[in-house]
Amino acid sequence: MKKERINIALIGHPDIIYEGISNLLHRQSERYFLYRIDDIEELDILTVKAEINIVVLNPENIINRVNQMRKFRNSHPAIYFIALLYSLTDNRLLNEFDSSISITDTSDVLRNKIDHSQNNKKELSRSKLSDRENDILIQLVGGLSNKEIADKLNISIHTVISHRKNISEKTGIKSLPGLTIYAISNKLIPLSEK
Amino acid sequence: MYQTHKTHIKKDVKLQGLIDENPMLLLFLEHLKIDFVVKDKTVDEICRDHKLDLNVVLLIANIYNGFYPAKGELEHVNDISLLITFLKNSHNYYKNDKYPEIQKYISDLEKRHPSQDIDLISKFFNDYFIEVLDHLDYEDDTAFPYFCRLSRDKTKSETENFSANEYRDHHTDIETKLTDLKNLLLKHISIENDLPLRRRLLLSLFELEYDLNIHSRIEEEILLPLVQRIENQGK
Repeated sequence: MKKERINIALIGHPDIIYEGISNLLHRQSERYFLYRIDDIEELDILTVKAEINIVVLNPENIINRVNQMRKFRNSHPAIYFIALLYSLTDNRLLNEFDSSISITDTSDVLRNKIDHSQNNKKELSRSKLSDRENDILIQLVGGLSNKEIADKLNISIHTVISHRKNISEKTGIKSLPGLTIYAISNKLIPLSEK
Repeated sequence: MYQTHKTHIKKDVKLQGLIDENPMLLLFLEHLKIDFVVKDKTVDEICRDHKLDLNVVLLIANIYNGFYPAKGELEHVNDISLLITFLKNSHNYYKNDKYPEIQKYISDLEKRHPSQDIDLISKFFNDYFIEVLDHLDYEDDTAFPYFCRLSRDKTKSETENFSANEYRDHHTDIETKLTDLKNLLLKHISIENDLPLRRRLLLSLFELEYDLNIHSRIEEEILLPLVQRIENQGK
């Protein structure tokens, strides 16, 4: 079955691991798109450029930076975090992740974890938009920019962007005209405001 | 229709078996104007019959089966004219066949189920169709002629302002709205009964989505790297 594209960020892995995962996934399906970054710091910038679904991270990368990771995860609840283990790792650290794999696992394990994470995502997309998301959607289809929405609702522009991502994820609709139809059909706005 | 584990196509594989495995390869044949009666022939034999560049044909066919060109595979391709022909023929399929077919289904739906929601869907599609036509015309009239000239002369003329980078920027994501339309019909807009018409509409959308996805992958993963290579050589 042809499915949605899955964007995977690989963080802090050596060349040979990156090449290995890349080959493995590309041979399996055209759905996987890989982004490689060296440090978790760069993840913020990457998520602006691409809608990242999964992060595969070496847990060593977040020792001493657990708070930073928690903060990031709060603002990007839809992203699934997988720890790729090179050695024995502290369980408290692993609790920060949704799931983990070891470099000694077979390729099927990696694939199953990825598929599993996306099944969980479907649960999310079945749920309705929150009141806040509805507010933002109404402003959005009313023609306001992210900045204008942020000012009007007194929230940061990053929060607006993160809500917009969740709206698109839940509804499955990304374009403004498409979201307008969703809003009208769900009686969030009257037809004349279109 | 969408098997995940398909054959990696090599020159001595028989086409008939490949089509059985992935019927979407019929689109690939059509875009190369190869007849569907492939008899017992292998990919290599078909290419010789039609005087087609085997390397390019294998690259394209494998994308239909989910395999993207590995590093180094593009080095054997020196002529982009077959790629351009393939892409142009795909454009014809979009412009004159698939989009009009979908438009017809939506207009039938509108007639049979008059409602505000279907009106909106119809307007959404018609606006989108105009955007798509604009984009395809831009490629046919501006981008492709430039690529052909570049490939023939192997160098950029002094007066040429256009470049592959500009093409990449212009290369808008027309797949997004198609996915939106599909999701509206599958998740949000309720229509009573009429499953056969809606099934025809949805299957058309899926077929189009499949081919468009491959189309942009061919442009991004084969055509653009080749054109940029020529541009850089010409500097």
